[in-house]
Amino acid sequence: MSGMTDLVVDGVSKRYRVTQSRDRVGSIHTLRSRVRRALRPPSEEFWALRNVSFEVGRGETLGIIGDNGAGKSTILKLLSNVTTPTKGQITIRGRLSALIEVGSGFHPELTGRENIFLSGSLLGMGRREIATKLERIIEFAGVSDFIDTPVKRYSSGMYLRLGFSIAAHLEPDILLLDEVLAVGDAEFQAKCLERVNELHRHGRTIVFISHDLLSVERLCRRVVLLSHGQVIADGPAREVIATYQEMGRMRTTTEEAVTAAPAAPGEAEIKDIQVLDGHGDRVTAMRTGDAVKIRIHYKANTRIPDAVFDVYVYSIVHGQHGPWCQLTTLTPDHEGIALEAGPGVIEFDISELAIQPSECRLSAGIRHSHHAPGGYTMDWWQDFATLQVQPGREVRGTFYLPHSWTTDRGVGSVATIVAGSSPR
Amino acid sequence: MPHIADVTPHNPMPRTVDPPPTRTAEIASLSADADARPVTVISPPSFSVAALWQAAVRLTQYRDLLYTLSAHRLQVRYKQSVLGPLWAILQPLSLMLIYTIIFWRLAGVESEGIPYTLFAFAALLPWTCFSTAVSSAINSLVSHFNLVTKVYFPREILPLTYVIAALVDLAAGGVVLAALIAYHQIPLTLQALWVIPVVGVMFILALAVSLVLSAVQVRFRDIGMGMPLLMQVWMFATPVVYPLSAVPNKWRTLYMLNPMVGVIENFRRVLLHGTPPDLESLAVGAAISMALLLVAFMYFKHVESTVADVL
Repeated sequence: MSGMTDLVVDGVSKRYRVTQSRDRVGSIHTLRSRVRRALRPPSEEFWALRNVSFEVGRGETLGIIGDNGAGKSTILKLLSNVTTPTKGQITIRGRLSALIEVGSGFHPELTGRENIFLSGSLLGMGRREIATKLERIIEFAGVSDFIDTPVKRYSSGMYLRLGFSIAAHLEPDILLLDEVLAVGDAEFQAKCLERVNELHRHGRTIVFISHDLLSVERLCRRVVLLSHGQVIADGPAREVIATYQEMGRMRTTTEEAVTAAPAAPGEAEIKDIQVLDGHGDRVTAMRTGDAVKIRIHYKANTRIPDAVFDVYVYSIVHGQHGPWCQLTTLTPDHEGIALEAGPGVIEFDISELAIQPSECRLSAGIRHSHHAPGGYTMDWWQDFATLQVQPGREVRGTFYLPHSWTTDRGVGSVATIVAGSSPR
Repeated sequence: MPHIADVTPHNPMPRTVDPPPTRTAEIASLSADADARPVTVISPPSFSVAALWQAAVRLTQYRDLLYTLSAHRLQVRYKQSVLGPLWAILQPLSLMLIYTIIFWRLAGVESEGIPYTLFAFAALLPWTCFSTAVSSAINSLVSHFNLVTKVYFPREILPLTYVIAALVDLAAGGVVLAALIAYHQIPLTLQALWVIPVVGVMFILALAVSLVLSAVQVRFRDIGMGMPLLMQVWMFATPVVYPLSAVPNKWRTLYMLNPMVGVIENFRRVLLHGTPPDLESLAVGAAISMALLLVAFMYFKHVESTVADVL
């Protein structure tokens, strides 16, 4: 079986033309300008993909990652033949199915059973094939009691499960996976993941398009990294994901009030940043409640009277920035610290990591405490590290508040329990 | 006969990993002749006769979807309506009554010796079919945008199913027409079999118009707005409420370019008069419809390749 390629993407480019609409709400146009506008060829073009090539071997699991707008969804649409490339060619050997957003083919007035036939045939199953799998689809979705009820009476969970169940019973040679695994309750997600794994064990080819790096690393051996519509890395999952995270460090996106590019370059620079555990060892993963140190090696090229170091911690929720916080050396009365010219080290000490299990991105910078004439930010490392926070002591809540307690029998704190010693 | 659920081949691979929490579906093992797999090539849209032919062939592979979707149109249309499929008959029947009052009683339109009610109904039935088919099909791409942007299937299936559903309604109305014919004791002859090719021409025309207009509707929603007006004008340019013989000779050539003339006139002629069809108008209608369908299909396929980007 080795050596067979199931999927060849050869020099594919995709151009979108966008008609510029400068319409403001409520603006009035003459009939002539409306007609002219409608008939004018679209003025702006935008290349969503440029000369993208990769191959997927039989039985391989390939991940495709990249930022929003890197071209992931365009690839998905091209592979599922929903739209055609502007240049290049895609060759697919075998039956390809996409696990599409579930339930989009459902009609609310039809019963669950009728909808299985409808959605199934939309996804490319024959009526006989559907009839054969009907019982299994119903059982997998767990809706046997309501199968002859119109789906408009279904709870959203049932709707979702039925939709996914149909897609999961396709037997494609090549399975195209989107973020769909992120839907449904945990139990159903596990069921779906098991189904995907099962398909993989049976030698099916899987292409997983996602920005959830954890899942991609878990599911895929090989990863293609897209950026601005181009393939910039293609190789073993771990390496490509590391490249992507490295890229994040270089990126200068302005998400918050902090100025991205150094406005006062040259005065001081960050040489290295280390994330360390309580023992001073470098880590990329830690647990809620752990002690963490962030050590910044810097070099001041001149004497700086009002330097401020900041570390920003962003939690990533469903690929988006979630809650975030700032660690800073800025004093309450808005004063910085004086740096002599030359190298130095500053260390932030976090006695208890007050972050619930999640993925966190760290950014750090050095700036003046006040807007100096020469500029403000001296150096800025965006997303210099991605930190996996894993469950430590199980504490519920959207965030974690370090705490201790006192009883008439003694004193304790969560941290001491996490560390494994019993409270004294 | 074996139970249908047992047909799937069993999974021969031993499970070495933890069993799944619940029973999941069996996966048919990969066949040895893996190269028998279909090969799909997705490339920039190109237009050739071969490509069109391929598209038409591919359509036949989707006949299950065509069947399911057409049946679904009929199922859904009358869900939660009290009168249900009766509506397929009520519409031409009520139009018949209105037009009988207006054109026969008030305007005195003559009806070639046939009771005017029957004269009108025998034309309104195919006309309603055509008009329903086209009016409902033009929105098919737009209203199914959530499917069109996510799953691939030949898009022409969407308008096609509406046309098919309208034909089923026509068959239902045919029962009423048969009853009316029997009531008026009009003898049916073998000429009535001409109804099949006549309806065939109407089907081709309805499909052609639906393909073009549904594709245009994706970019210009004006089509939907103008539809009722277009259908009204088209009906009066077709011998529905008046006989073909009422059209002045000097206008006849231009008039005959409307393919629905041949359809409606001959539908009535072979059923009510029992005479052979007017082959000239039927042939002209058929030729124009076929040519339209070819152009329509080409245009539709052109739009199809980028429809997901526009919707």
